[in-house]
Amino acid sequence: MERSGSRLKILAFVVAFMFVALSTRLWFLQVLAGPQHDRDARDNSLRTVATDALRGDILDRDGRRLVHNRISLEVRIKRDELGDEAEATLAHLSEILGVPAQELGEELDTKLYYSYQPVPVAEFVPEQVYFKVREEPEKFQGVEVVEQSVRSYPQGPLAAHLVGWVGQINAQEIDDPLFAGYGPSDLVGKAGIEATYERWLRGEPGEERFLVNSDGEVLREFDPRPAEPGHDLRLSLDLNVQRIVEDELVTGLQRARTVFDASTGRNLAANAGAVVVLDPNTGGIVAMASWPTFRPSWFVKGLSPEQDHYLNASKAAPSLSRATQITYAPGSAFKPFVALAALKEGRATMGGYYDCPAEYVHPGDESGTIFHNWDGVGAGSLSIAQGLKVSCDTQYYKWGSDFYFLDAQTNRQELQRRVKQWGFGQPSDVDLPAEAAGTVPDRKYVTEHRARYPDGWIPGIDILLAIGSGEMKATPLQVAQAYAALASGKLCRPHLVSRIEDGAGRVAKKIGGRCRRVPYTEAELNYIREALRSVTTGGTASSVFASCSLDVAGKTGTAERPPFQDTSWFAGIVPAERPEYVVVATVEQGGFGAETAAPIVRNIMSRIYRAPCEGPALGEAED
Amino acid sequence: MDLVAGRVYADERRPIRHIDGFLLLVTAILLLLGFFLIYSATNQTLDQDRLDPFLRVNKQMVTAAMGVVLILVMATFDYRFLKVYAGFIYAGVVVTLLLVRVPFLGSSAAGAQRWFEVGGFQITPSEFAKLGLIVMLAASLSEMRHSLPTIQDVIRLCGVVLLPLLLVFTQPDIGTSIVIVAIAAGMFLVAGMSGRHLAALVVICLVLIAAAFQLGVIKEYQLDRIRAFIDRENTPADVRYNLDQAEIAVGSGGLFGQGYLHGRQTTLDYVPEQHTDFIFTVAGEEFGFVGAVFVLTLFALLLWRSIRIAFLSKDPFGTYLATGVAIMFAVQMFVNIGMVIGIMPITGIPLPFLSYGGSSMLASCIGVGILLNVHMRRFK
Repeated sequence: MERSGSRLKILAFVVAFMFVALSTRLWFLQVLAGPQHDRDARDNSLRTVATDALRGDILDRDGRRLVHNRISLEVRIKRDELGDEAEATLAHLSEILGVPAQELGEELDTKLYYSYQPVPVAEFVPEQVYFKVREEPEKFQGVEVVEQSVRSYPQGPLAAHLVGWVGQINAQEIDDPLFAGYGPSDLVGKAGIEATYERWLRGEPGEERFLVNSDGEVLREFDPRPAEPGHDLRLSLDLNVQRIVEDELVTGLQRARTVFDASTGRNLAANAGAVVVLDPNTGGIVAMASWPTFRPSWFVKGLSPEQDHYLNASKAAPSLSRATQITYAPGSAFKPFVALAALKEGRATMGGYYDCPAEYVHPGDESGTIFHNWDGVGAGSLSIAQGLKVSCDTQYYKWGSDFYFLDAQTNRQELQRRVKQWGFGQPSDVDLPAEAAGTVPDRKYVTEHRARYPDGWIPGIDILLAIGSGEMKATPLQVAQAYAALASGKLCRPHLVSRIEDGAGRVAKKIGGRCRRVPYTEAELNYIREALRSVTTGGTASSVFASCSLDVAGKTGTAERPPFQDTSWFAGIVPAERPEYVVVATVEQGGFGAETAAPIVRNIMSRIYRAPCEGPALGEAED
Repeated sequence: MDLVAGRVYADERRPIRHIDGFLLLVTAILLLLGFFLIYSATNQTLDQDRLDPFLRVNKQMVTAAMGVVLILVMATFDYRFLKVYAGFIYAGVVVTLLLVRVPFLGSSAAGAQRWFEVGGFQITPSEFAKLGLIVMLAASLSEMRHSLPTIQDVIRLCGVVLLPLLLVFTQPDIGTSIVIVAIAAGMFLVAGMSGRHLAALVVICLVLIAAAFQLGVIKEYQLDRIRAFIDRENTPADVRYNLDQAEIAVGSGGLFGQGYLHGRQTTLDYVPEQHTDFIFTVAGEEFGFVGAVFVLTLFALLLWRSIRIAFLSKDPFGTYLATGVAIMFAVQMFVNIGMVIGIMPITGIPLPFLSYGGSSMLASCIGVGILLNVHMRRFK
């Protein structure tokens, strides 16, 4: 029995050890790791479901709706209410939807939704589906037909590039801090102002919180936080003008394609183009078109393979806005700004006359490079204004050389600095995504693009820049912005949205043009404006505007773009006396400025002012 | 004067005067605590199913009342009668364990054939088999001719253990098998079995366990549970669901608990089998570390009294009986709570006095009755 006693002590020790082990573990579990387990327990039972906020509308300057929301009927299945009749229910549903029951079953087999969340199985169903489900609830247990809001475009394809489109957030976006608080199935603006003003349009999603038990049954619903609808965007856009612009752009392109281009031996391709209409006093975009284009409504139901190919894989690249996302050499449309630079830097005066020979050679250049006038003919001695009127190139070559020498002496790139004052070579900060900045070739640019400039900084860069050629590149919007500054004396930030309103029409934010005066005297500006007026009355665009009662100051532009056909430009200010609109047209492979772009601008102005122009709209083969 | 087992007690030796009141008190507290825990674990789900939320706890109270009667009955007659009838008791155990395997008599769930269905009550013979084996082993050990068990004794004793063990193990009921092995080992130890013999038995046990794995006696779900215990990280979520939910429940209790009837895991029914094998999670979640340690303390007091009784008994049979019951309580408590808090693999062992379930409750009460009996009659 003594042995029993000592053995019982061993037993007592073992038991004591058990308690030590259990209490240690409990201390770790409950006290040290307690907070984490507490969170786990909360996560277990609390389910949060976001409710979508109604996306804001997009309205033109007069409140006409460009984009709003419409109701789509969506069929959803609540898996936890399907019960034992699941197969029969799916069969009934398959019958009225015309979708195989098996496919519906596969849709249900998803991990995207919690078991208590209804799974959407069909969108855009006809109303009769809703009535059938309501009439025979016993056949459709767990099935609900709910209203979903989707984007709607009452103006059809109008202003497609401006409006953009919405789509499901992608993996890259969801990791972006810009999209903090977005869920994996949220819709976001992907292009156009839908993207720029995403945060305003989206609103504040609501939240429903449920307490669920281990079977996923909802035991309690907490007070939901209702969704706050998104803000509406009021644009500076005028839908009437936009309609005219899109119409005339297409017409102009079609007409250009009938024109034979002698230099390439075939008709003009006129494969793409853009028009920008700005209010020069505010920088507001009144209209903006790009062709080829698309329909934003394609994105509502998801792109068909053909649409997807056309938008994303075809050479036409219709989703790109030619007005803001593609840059072109502005050609002679650039000259007014070079002339002003020459004036300001003392290379020329308003009273002076400058030779316009047929050919120009940079002084001291022995490489044999000859710069030709656009028509291969000289025009004698011309003032700045006369030079602009007939678009003399050789005058400008000379000024290019002058700026080159000035640079060589003083190491100051005055030409580049001066033209940048008009907004060239930098983003205009327009409220549209992925804007191209354009290029003003300067020393920095040449150093960064050594491959294109094997000889480094050479006179030809300044000489070509003087006529808006070579590596000088600008978007049609930048050209319009510069002409608007010429017209008003103020360089304004172009903008599409003029104010943001809440649902009740109260202004939440005003968006101004942020204008600043350009550093030129009114006399200098007036001199150039008058010169540009003479372009439409007696110069390169006179035949286009001959029969019109419009008072237009403008400039043609023709930019070489080998091996393609020339880029056709026209920038016009109307009325020249008291400018209300600046209209810029650009046509890729459109030939001479007066040939394709100028008639487009003329027709737009004519329709805006209801001032019919007589005679054919075809212009001459003039720069 | 009191006539028990043909003995006349002097007045100061009357057993009733030596009842272990402290043991009774601890048992009573455990029983009461059990009602509260079971109510918390079951009222919500019952209410949801539109049943009386007190349904389960009422049934448990009835069982507990029967248990109290059993305690009194077991304490009244001299425990030495048990030695006399040990053979019959043992035979009864083996027979019921066999009968429960007969298809029409025994009931089964999830492939395990474990209980009889009698008038709305489930009777699980393996619960009582533990007690029967304790009595049989205590009797055999106390009747050994030598003060130290010889090899023949060891073999005979092993045979005594092996018969019910195999019947329980093949039900299959691994939890109870573990308890039986632990009881036998503990009683052999206290009975003075030599270290060599004990070591040999351990080796044989390991060989048998290995053989069980090899022969496929261990079912897939049991393997899963062991895998989940050994390699928690790589276990599929559905296999370790019980473990995870139990840990979250106990862990979220923190220091002072979520408050009675306010445990999130408990009220929302996230812990499977919560009122039976996982009853400890209710204490852990709703009363926190303080409450969990309080429960441990109750068991510690129970075991202290049990081992003390084994010590105090002047009669080897009494000592062995008390030892067996003590080990039964200790192992069940340790394996059950250990499983709930993740330091033991999942085995279906109820927590004495606290888990919902009739047979376990009655068996535990009988155990307390035996302890009281030995204590009252510890003077020979």
